[in-house]
Amino acid sequence: MKKKVTLTVNGEEHEIEIEANRLLLQVLRDTLGLTGTKEGCSIGVCGACSVIIDGRVVSSCLTLAAACAGKKIETIEGLAEDGRLHPLQQAFIEYGGFQCGICTPGQIMAAKSLLDENPKPTEDEVKEWMSGNLCRCTGYYKILEAVMAVVNNKIDPDFAFRKREQTAKIQSLDVYKSVAKTN
Amino acid sequence: MAELTVVGKPVTRVDANEKVTGEAIYGYDLVLPNMLYGKTLFSTKAHARIKRISTEKAKAFPGVVAVVTGADVPWTHGESIKDKPFLAQGKVRFIGEPVAAVAAEDEDIAQAAVKLIEVEYEDLPVYVDPEEACKSGAVAIHEDFPKYRKVDFIVPGAHANIAEHFKLRTGDVAQGFKESDLVLEEKYFVPMIQHAAMEPHSAHAQFDKETGRLTIWVANDAPFRALHEIAEALGMPKEKIRFINPLQGGGFGSKGGLKVEPIAVALAFHTNGRPVRVKFNREETFISTLTRHEAVVYSKTGVKKDGTLMAREMTIYWGAGAYAEKSPTVCIRGSLPAPGPYRIPHVKVDGYAVYTNKPVAGSYRGYGIPQGAWAGEQQMDEIAKRLDMDAVEIRLKNIFVEGDISYWGEQLHAVGLKETLTKATEAIEWGNKPHQIKPGVKNGKGFACIQKPTRSPTTSAAGVMVNTKGDITVLAGTVEIGQGCNTILSQVAAEELKVPMAKVQMHPLDTDVIPYDASTTSSRSTYHMGNAVRRASIHAREQIMEAASPMLEAKTQDLDCVDGKVFLKDQPQMALTLGEVVRRKFGPEGVVRGDGSYTYEIGKDLDLETGHSDHASAFYMYATQAAEVEVDEDSGRIRILRMSAAHDVGKAINPLNCVAQIEGGVVMGIGSALHEEMVIDQTGKVRNPSFLDYHLVTSLDTPELISIIVECAEPEGPYGAKGLGEPGLAPTPAAIGNAVADALGIRIYDLPLKPENVYWAIQNKKKKDAA
Ligand code: FES
Ligand code: FES
Repeated sequence: MKKKVTLTVNGEEHEIEIEANRLLLQVLRDTLGLTGTKEGCSIGVCGACSVIIDGRVVSSCLTLAAACAGKKIETIEGLAEDGRLHPLQQAFIEYGGFQCGICTPGQIMAAKSLLDENPKPTEDEVKEWMSGNLCRCTGYYKILEAVMAVVNNKIDPDFAFRKREQTAKIQSLDVYKSVAKTN
Repeated sequence: MAELTVVGKPVTRVDANEKVTGEAIYGYDLVLPNMLYGKTLFSTKAHARIKRISTEKAKAFPGVVAVVTGADVPWTHGESIKDKPFLAQGKVRFIGEPVAAVAAEDEDIAQAAVKLIEVEYEDLPVYVDPEEACKSGAVAIHEDFPKYRKVDFIVPGAHANIAEHFKLRTGDVAQGFKESDLVLEEKYFVPMIQHAAMEPHSAHAQFDKETGRLTIWVANDAPFRALHEIAEALGMPKEKIRFINPLQGGGFGSKGGLKVEPIAVALAFHTNGRPVRVKFNREETFISTLTRHEAVVYSKTGVKKDGTLMAREMTIYWGAGAYAEKSPTVCIRGSLPAPGPYRIPHVKVDGYAVYTNKPVAGSYRGYGIPQGAWAGEQQMDEIAKRLDMDAVEIRLKNIFVEGDISYWGEQLHAVGLKETLTKATEAIEWGNKPHQIKPGVKNGKGFACIQKPTRSPTTSAAGVMVNTKGDITVLAGTVEIGQGCNTILSQVAAEELKVPMAKVQMHPLDTDVIPYDASTTSSRSTYHMGNAVRRASIHAREQIMEAASPMLEAKTQDLDCVDGKVFLKDQPQMALTLGEVVRRKFGPEGVVRGDGSYTYEIGKDLDLETGHSDHASAFYMYATQAAEVEVDEDSGRIRILRMSAAHDVGKAINPLNCVAQIEGGVVMGIGSALHEEMVIDQTGKVRNPSFLDYHLVTSLDTPELISIIVECAEPEGPYGAKGLGEPGLAPTPAAIGNAVADALGIRIYDLPLKPENVYWAIQNKKKKDAA
């Protein structure tokens, strides 16, 4: 049986007709075409589908869409404003916090929900909080560096969105100094 | 060499904006007009004859457009052995094998219809252990194996279930063991694991009857191989097939070959021209796509008292799963260097790729190196211990150095191994070993060295276009699987054309317009495609210089190129932008196109009797990783305190990317060391096909990691570069295994080092000590 619901996604209202058992993830991706929210496991383990509902991060693969009526839903697509990236998005670029990028929207949404509530978490708190978001590519180091860079206000104030040549800022590049030539 | 402007710099990635904003379109994000949704019926039996399939009910289900079974698609494919049907033909060989598929108006309808397909099976004996599967008396999993089409380097084994038998013969091992003061013989085991790329597999296909063209949209890491394989299977001319690559959400080897593609293709011939998408969920990805080879490794090593290696004999059973896929080449390229990066006068290796009734094993980051290293590198430590020698010292005595002739007969060059060994061990303060800091907790350190070849010989071709605005478009068939190739290749083009990075963009991957590339595998891209893009860029630059010569009234050799401009070397103010040169020469819509291709010329082919070759690989990657661990004696839990990873990359074209590859590799390696395994029962069923039960490393489990880049330039590589994608995880389990053995004084031979295994190893030792 189809049901009419109004979903508020990134400040925009969408009136849609959906089956009562539709998951928020399916509605975002298939009905609204917001494919920035990803699917990795479909059972609430990987965090790829993380979105923020009324300030709290949730797995949209476990959330019924109809239950979100009247709530404020934030997805990755709503983060950049007027061509300005959210500081977390910028930090993920500057500090290399992604590789294939499929987990990235979820990572950023999870981090955002933490920083919205607690702008000054410790590194351990960040590690703990982010442990619900799996990443198979990065080994997490650069993701944590990116989040901590926002916490510690270490992102470039002159960063230009969509400019393609910037020098990465990562602590671990200190190791690059130890590059030595053989032969 | 002139000073490099952008090669060697840690520039941020060119695919950054779309990936942090959610704009990037991955394989499964793609929605095509009028698209149908496909679902698959998978075999529930590991080995059985199909007595009957009935699809009537599914076909009659409202909203269903097509139902296909093996009878509709009588095609088989395979990279080196054509053994795999698009959909099961007459029998099934693993649980998860695609048997039938449905295309419908939506996914729920397709799934409901799949449930209405009835299959009757007749059980056959199930083989889950590769050693059992090739014992005499074992039933052939592929009755028609001798009749299959195969490429010519395949050497089938004595038993019908041995798809490939690789042999390496150097010296006389019996003699070597006789001359040894110590001979050690052990058995090691590495279980089947999965790539677990965060994006599950999917493919879209459409067949246009009018034009006879088949188009496939899939995040496949080797689209040209996939195209070739489908053309060959269907007997279609290659020009009739087109692959378009959306972005790929990770791969690690899992997304090459044909897994979900044949199902989409099978359906596309029955949908009246409508495109169909087949998307696997996580469980389907676990059971039906690709895995990493389980391996049983017997290793026997003989040494002199002073630590000089005399002989090494290894027998490796590679569990291929139900179909050959990449097994023959994993068997060859994994078995060949399995004895390790050492000078050994007498070597004998037998590698067997063995069919079992388990999910198919394919390429996996590292391509057989982790399995060999798990055995070989632990045995090296064990030998050092028995000889009362330091583990570093015994390695230094035997490791490959510049100019050595390897045991497969190739003279080695650009060998940065020693430096990786020294740096990695120094980074964890090797000489300084506290063994017990807290009560009940034992500390230890260990390390492991590897050498990894790349797939050879192979070809990469590229095009580079320069328009009248001076924008550069690179056409390259390397797939951006997350490894950062688009950034690396853009850097190469920017370097050669002397333009800012912002001027360079990568053309989307479409086999209709992109030049041939062998594959995005084997850590081959920076080297092969880097060379091709470099040559194409130089070719474009030369054309621009030639065109500019009359415009600037100067000889080409008096011209130079910097910052997007061509100018006179001694009068830099006499300059034209690249775009201006193109416009004046070819008009307002003109384009200059440079082309380049690179093929590594192999010397003698691998000798099938001895495994010898004077050029087994275009280049070799060397690495050493070291670990410091603490083991809780009561629970068997291992905590990695810190790790170091020193990798010889030849030349770091982008050090940020290098560090990223190392970090990702090491953490993946830690997962395979400590907890990852596909648990498969005696009936061939995967018991843990979800991220709930198959544990991946999380942000809480990562140790302090010291990444070290060593640059031992490869003369043939672009700017000296080799490769780095795979080695990151190759020595990791062995390094951790050695650290655990150092901590406990107990050697554990089977991966993963999960707490219960460690716990029981401790208990058994206690019992033995008491007795
Ligand atoms: S897809 Fe929702 S948590 Fe994995
Ligand atoms: S960047 Fe690929 S899974 Fe995280």
